[in-house]
Amino acid sequence: MPARVITVTSGKGGVGKTTTTANLGVALAKLSKRVVVIDSDIGLRNLDIVMGLQNRIIYDVVDLVEGRCRIRQALIRDRLLEELYLLPAAQSRDKSAVSPADMVRICEQLRGECDFVLIDSPAGIELGFRNAVAAADEFVLVTTPDTSSVQDVDRVLGLLEAEGHSRTGLIINRIRPELVRRSEMLSPSQVLGMLEITLLGLVPDDEAILVSNNRGFPIAHDTRSLAGKAYQNIARRLLGEHVPYVSILECRQGLLERLGLRGRQRSS
Amino acid sequence: MKGTVSIKGTRDGLTITLGSGDLPLLLEDLAQHLAAQGAFFRGGTVALHVGGRVMAAEDLSRLKDLLAQHEMILRTVAATHAATQQAAKALGLRLVDQEPKQEVAAPVQARPSVSHPMDGSKGTLVRRLVRSGQVIRHTGHVVVIGDVNPGAEIIAGGDVVIWGKLQGTVHAGAMGNGLAVVCALELNPLQLRIGDLIARPDEGERPRKPCPEVAYVRDNMIVVEPWDRAPRGA
Repeated sequence: MPARVITVTSGKGGVGKTTTTANLGVALAKLSKRVVVIDSDIGLRNLDIVMGLQNRIIYDVVDLVEGRCRIRQALIRDRLLEELYLLPAAQSRDKSAVSPADMVRICEQLRGECDFVLIDSPAGIELGFRNAVAAADEFVLVTTPDTSSVQDVDRVLGLLEAEGHSRTGLIINRIRPELVRRSEMLSPSQVLGMLEITLLGLVPDDEAILVSNNRGFPIAHDTRSLAGKAYQNIARRLLGEHVPYVSILECRQGLLERLGLRGRQRSS
Repeated sequence: MKGTVSIKGTRDGLTITLGSGDLPLLLEDLAQHLAAQGAFFRGGTVALHVGGRVMAAEDLSRLKDLLAQHEMILRTVAATHAATQQAAKALGLRLVDQEPKQEVAAPVQARPSVSHPMDGSKGTLVRRLVRSGQVIRHTGHVVVIGDVNPGAEIIAGGDVVIWGKLQGTVHAGAMGNGLAVVCALELNPLQLRIGDLIARPDEGERPRKPCPEVAYVRDNMIVVEPWDRAPRGA
C-alpha cells in the first residue's frame, strides 16, 4: 500500500498544529503503522522538542535538500516507538532554503518506505505553507473554537480547494465544554456549519497536553487520558474505521456534558 | 468615439475589448472608464482582446501600466495579428484564443405584467460556499446559492442575492447604483455597501431569530427589513 502524505495545517499560529502532528504520529505508530513526521517550519523548529528528540538531531531537512546527507541519515527514530521517525527542520535557516519541488521529491522517496508521512506546516499562507502542502494528498486542518482561528481555516480551505484538493478533515482543538455550554465559545456544530468539512475529531483543552509537550512525551502515549484517547480515535478515523463521535451532532449537550464531567473527574 | 473600448466582468475577471479607432484615443477612453469606476475593478485580472489590431510591445506595455495604476493585472492577450502576438510574448503575457462566439444577447422576455428597469439584466450564479479571502466580482448581479463566510467579499454592479447565510462583506451597486438591493436568508454581514453608502450592523444588537431580509437604500440610508415586509418594487 503506498504511503499517505498528510499535511497538518491551520493558517493561524498557536492552535496546536505541532501538538497534533506529534500526537497523530504517535497514535498511528501505536496502531502498528510506519510513520514519518516532517517538521516543515524551517527556522522555528518545534516538533523535535514536542517529541523529545531535540538532542538527537544530526542532519535536518535542509541538509537533505542540499545533498549533505541521505534520507536515512536525516530520519531520527522515536525513543519508544520503533516505527515512528522524525525528519527535523533546520533552525538556522529560513523557509526559502526549501522549495515545494524539494518537498515533493522528499515525500516521493518516503512513500515507498512507510505508511504515513505527516507534515507539520508552519503558520501563515506564504512559502512555508506552500512547501508544506506541495506534496500532500490529504489535509488535516486544526482550529480552536474561536472566531479568528475558524476564519483562518476557512481561508486555507479556500486556497486548497482552488488547487483542487478536496480530501480535508477538521480537528477542533482546545474545546472547553463549560464555555460552550454557557454559549461563550463556538460549539463544534457551529464551527462545522461554517466550514462545511468532515470532522476528524474533538480534542479537549487539557493542561496535561501542555505538560506532556514540555516533557517531550506526546500525550497520545497515554491512552487512558481523555486527550490521548481523542488522538487515538482520530488516528483510527484516518485509517477508515468508524469511531462514533460520542454523538456530537445529534446530541451535542450530551457530549459536552460527558467531556465536562470527565474533565472534572480528572482534576479531582 | 464612444463604445470602442468595452469592459465586461466575467467569472474569471475582466475582459477589455479594444474596438476600432486610434490607440491613443482608446487608451484615453479606457483611462476615463477606469478613473470613474476604478474602485470597482481594483485587484482584478484582465483578459485583453485586441482582435486584428497591430500593437507593438510598447503599446501593450503602456496599456499594462495604465491597468497597473488602477491595481489591475493584465493576464492574457487575445490577438489575431502575428506582430501583436509577438509583442505580447516579448512582454511575457499569455496568449489565448479569443472566444469566437460573441455572447448571444438573448434578453429574457419579461412578462408584460412585470416591468422593473432591472428585469432581464445580466448576472452570475455562484453555487458554492464562498470562503474567507475569496472575492466574487461581477459587473451585473450576483446570486450565491450557499453561505458567504466572514472575510469573503461579493462585489456586484447590480443586486446581490444570497440563498444562505451572509456573514461576509457585500457591495451591491458598486458602480454607483443606489437602487441595488441585497437579500439573504440570514443577513448578518460584516459590512454592507450599496452604491456609495456603507453600513455595518449595530454592534450591540442582540441575537435574534434569523429570517430572510433585504437591504436597500431609503432616504440616503441603508435600511434592512424582513423580507415579508419589503417593498416589492424596491
